[in-house]
Amino acid sequence: MKFERNVLAGFLVVSVLLGIFLRNDYLLHILVMVLMYAILASSLNLIVGYVGEFPLGHVAFFGLGAYTVALLSTPAVGLPLAAAIPLAALVAAVFGWLIGRITLRLNGPFFVIITLAFAEVLRLLAGNWVALTNGPMGIAGIPHPAVFDLLPWLAGKRGFVMLGAALLAITFFVGYRLVYSSAGRAAVTLRENRYVAQSVGIDPFRYSLFVFVVAAFLAGLSGAYYATYISFVGPEVFSFPFTATMIIIVLLGGKGSLIGPVLGAVIVTLLEAYLREFNELRLSLFGLIVMAVVLFAPDGVMGYARQRFQSFFKEAGHA
Amino acid sequence: MFDLFLQFVVNGLVNGTFYALSALGLTLIFGLMRLVNFAHGEFYMIGGLLGWVVTQKLSMDFFSGLVVVVAVMAAFGWLLDRYVIVRIRDKGPEPGILLTIGLAIFLTNTALMLVGTAPQKVLAPVPSTPLLLGPIIITEVRLFAIAVSIAAIVGARLLIQKTKLGKAMRATFQDATAASLVGINTASIYASTFALGSALAATSGMLLGSIYVAQASIGGLISLKAFVVVILGGMGNFAGAILGGLILGVAEALWGGYVQTGTVDMVGFALVILILFFRPYGLFSVRAERA
Amino acid sequence: MRMTVLALSVVASAAAMTAHAADTIRIGVIQPLTGSVAYNGAADVNGSKIAVKERNAKGGVLGKQVELVVEDGECQPSKTVNAAEKLIQQDKVPVISGAFCSSATIAAMSVAAKYKVPLLSGVSSKSDLTERGNEWFFRSAETDGLLARAFAKILVDQLHLKKIAYIGVNDDWGRGGMNEFSKQIEAMGGETAMKLYFDHGTTDFYTMLTRVRAAKPDGVFVAAETQDGSILVKQMKEVNLQSKVFGVGSWATADFVKLAGDAAQGIHAAVPYAYTIDRPENKKFVAAYKTEYGELPGKYSAAGYNALNIIMDAIERAGSADPDKIRQAMAKTDYHGPNGSFKFDAKHQAYGFDAVLVRLNDGKPEIVAQATVTDDK
Repeated sequence: MKFERNVLAGFLVVSVLLGIFLRNDYLLHILVMVLMYAILASSLNLIVGYVGEFPLGHVAFFGLGAYTVALLSTPAVGLPLAAAIPLAALVAAVFGWLIGRITLRLNGPFFVIITLAFAEVLRLLAGNWVALTNGPMGIAGIPHPAVFDLLPWLAGKRGFVMLGAALLAITFFVGYRLVYSSAGRAAVTLRENRYVAQSVGIDPFRYSLFVFVVAAFLAGLSGAYYATYISFVGPEVFSFPFTATMIIIVLLGGKGSLIGPVLGAVIVTLLEAYLREFNELRLSLFGLIVMAVVLFAPDGVMGYARQRFQSFFKEAGHA
Repeated sequence: MFDLFLQFVVNGLVNGTFYALSALGLTLIFGLMRLVNFAHGEFYMIGGLLGWVVTQKLSMDFFSGLVVVVAVMAAFGWLLDRYVIVRIRDKGPEPGILLTIGLAIFLTNTALMLVGTAPQKVLAPVPSTPLLLGPIIITEVRLFAIAVSIAAIVGARLLIQKTKLGKAMRATFQDATAASLVGINTASIYASTFALGSALAATSGMLLGSIYVAQASIGGLISLKAFVVVILGGMGNFAGAILGGLILGVAEALWGGYVQTGTVDMVGFALVILILFFRPYGLFSVRAERA
Repeated sequence: MRMTVLALSVVASAAAMTAHAADTIRIGVIQPLTGSVAYNGAADVNGSKIAVKERNAKGGVLGKQVELVVEDGECQPSKTVNAAEKLIQQDKVPVISGAFCSSATIAAMSVAAKYKVPLLSGVSSKSDLTERGNEWFFRSAETDGLLARAFAKILVDQLHLKKIAYIGVNDDWGRGGMNEFSKQIEAMGGETAMKLYFDHGTTDFYTMLTRVRAAKPDGVFVAAETQDGSILVKQMKEVNLQSKVFGVGSWATADFVKLAGDAAQGIHAAVPYAYTIDRPENKKFVAAYKTEYGELPGKYSAAGYNALNIIMDAIERAGSADPDKIRQAMAKTDYHGPNGSFKFDAKHQAYGFDAVLVRLNDGKPEIVAQATVTDDK
């Protein structure tokens, strides 16, 4: 527990320091992407690691967060981002509740496919409901948080790094509290052995839904962050590349641990940046990496580390 | 007015037959091995691209080319199962899902690297001239493709019902332990099933490549449509896959014809959501138990 | 295995970054190299490369060789923004040619304005790009509005089209093109039977075409690119669609004709370039392109060629590789290309070049009518 908490806090401190001292805009851009994926992957990890199911359509909440910010903050509505971002996460959470109620009654491949179906429906709606979402042309001109203009120190990408670190801190806090709460322990029990959990009175559905909604909230937060950074949102926020990257980060980093997604986010974002030109080669490699991880190291880097450095993890209270 | 409706229905049935053939491999693999093959669409895609290679680059005629493609893909499926999938066979559903997703990503992008994004044509032995059957227009090559699809579906059915291999497959499906107790080499059966599934996917890819096009990036959409069909018909349900395919085809054609052509793909997903909500084991299954 | 890949990629990119010479003039190019318009993006890059090759053979620009840095914008705004950021921040290019799809170009425009680097688009045709007051953006392409005005009259009067169905790809460009043409044609008395949209990469147009056929229009207007368009046109023959077809996009290119095969026969296209245009600059360009790539150039190859020439002329005129000076020099462009002369008006919209209506006959784009894109609004 302590080790984990220290690593997470350490990561935040490093991010903030890098944000302060780095001058190169491109490197700052990579840092922003790392932070965004860390939030997104952490949210996916909650479901994968602590509910034990694989929501292939998780990107739906990311996209919902992004579009909500886009729709609320553009001149027609004009909500300041300080309000739009939390609202976006809330909207995602509400959808998480609606979708979770339907999908969590199923498990295994059925769950995978139905979540995917929801994500695809949202993508098609975003692309075709031109009156609301401007269809494939998307929504452009999403402003950055007003506070960036007030404090000149926060201008440009540095402001986004700080915002990302703040959102990631929230993510860590929420995740940490969830995992170490009784709700979290119940969820782990469910993951390990559903029937035993039920026999001691844990209602699988309620706990799964709770984790699902929290995960949706965080994914929405990540989407909101993406929207204000890129300043443009289109139906591609619901599309497969985000899903693929998320999956690889969670798998590679190690599911079921809070550090895993962060570690995975760093590795994968750097890989993506280096292999930018070789788009198909990179994705091809990602596919191979996923297969290799599943076959040889199903618990990812963190799982491997746990095996090798067992002393560090002796005090870890959870699996 | 009725003519238009009839044309839409015919279009839908044509597409539906293709959906059925494409989903057949997926439902067999799930029915027997309880493995959800997310790379199914990629096997279809490879079938299409191989079809292009054999008919255009190697100048083979369609049927010889088809035999080659089926042989290659069956072998590929067999090897994949024997050496890769066997490792995660008893580890629950999740590893299989993740493994095949990784495989799908790898296959799609390797194909893109090798062939590029350009759509390619598979040469059919029959031209695409339109024929008039009463008020309905259909092209010769579509009729040809339907005929071959039906032959493939019937062939697969015969394989499963009438041959020794098929019997062994059905036995393993019912109870793997009992099957191995009576001397069936279950490892070999799993590999054969996966090979059969891959071959069926590749066949439909090659057939449809002769009507439309074969391109490297088509895998994802095909997988999704195949899942829709399999869920409609019930996983592992042979007849269900066929009916499911036809239903999806007609539903899409009618929606596209009377409502909006741009959102046609949504029909399948809406159906999936409704089905999984009310009858998760498919429209035609007897089981009613839920999660 | 993961570690090896990481290590290899670090080494590879480090090597790549140190390999660039300091004594060249770098020009950034953002085009879609993957996705369903990859054909056309690649054609644009090919045309650009020929322009650079020709110029370098004559000694380059300002005495230095020109180097193209090409990035894949994938026709998507977010990827294009990434590409633009990289080109400006890492490769330090003083000017960029891109980004093809209008929505991607809009995204790139804000990056250009932010970093004060001039951006020239040789392709994006959505009318309002030059209406946004972005002084760092130039457009050397026709707009949907100008093209529509130039040809609506011909289509209604000469082809006698009364009832028209519109089919277009569901994006900025498709929708924009359809709106402009239908507006102009309706103003001339034509009737709009229906407007249908499809997504990039669609392979099955049967349902849509069945609806079109049932409406029995005289003409079908299509806004589609090479890949989608060739499949669409083939299926039109398969559903026995008898109406006259005219399109905008890459319809006069060799790629399209090759893919569409017989189905391309008799189709009309409204394009700003065809390899059959009778100008000495064009004959030279066509010959050079054919020698280099083994095929005849189309609209996008010419677009890339023109864009790079305009940029290189501007750098030469500016006398330095300073972005602001290049921008000022570009406004004074007076370039003669394979399809006419190019000058920019006050909003940085090019004018003075050709727009041709062609009819595809045995794969060759025969010029049926010609107009000049004027700068009156």
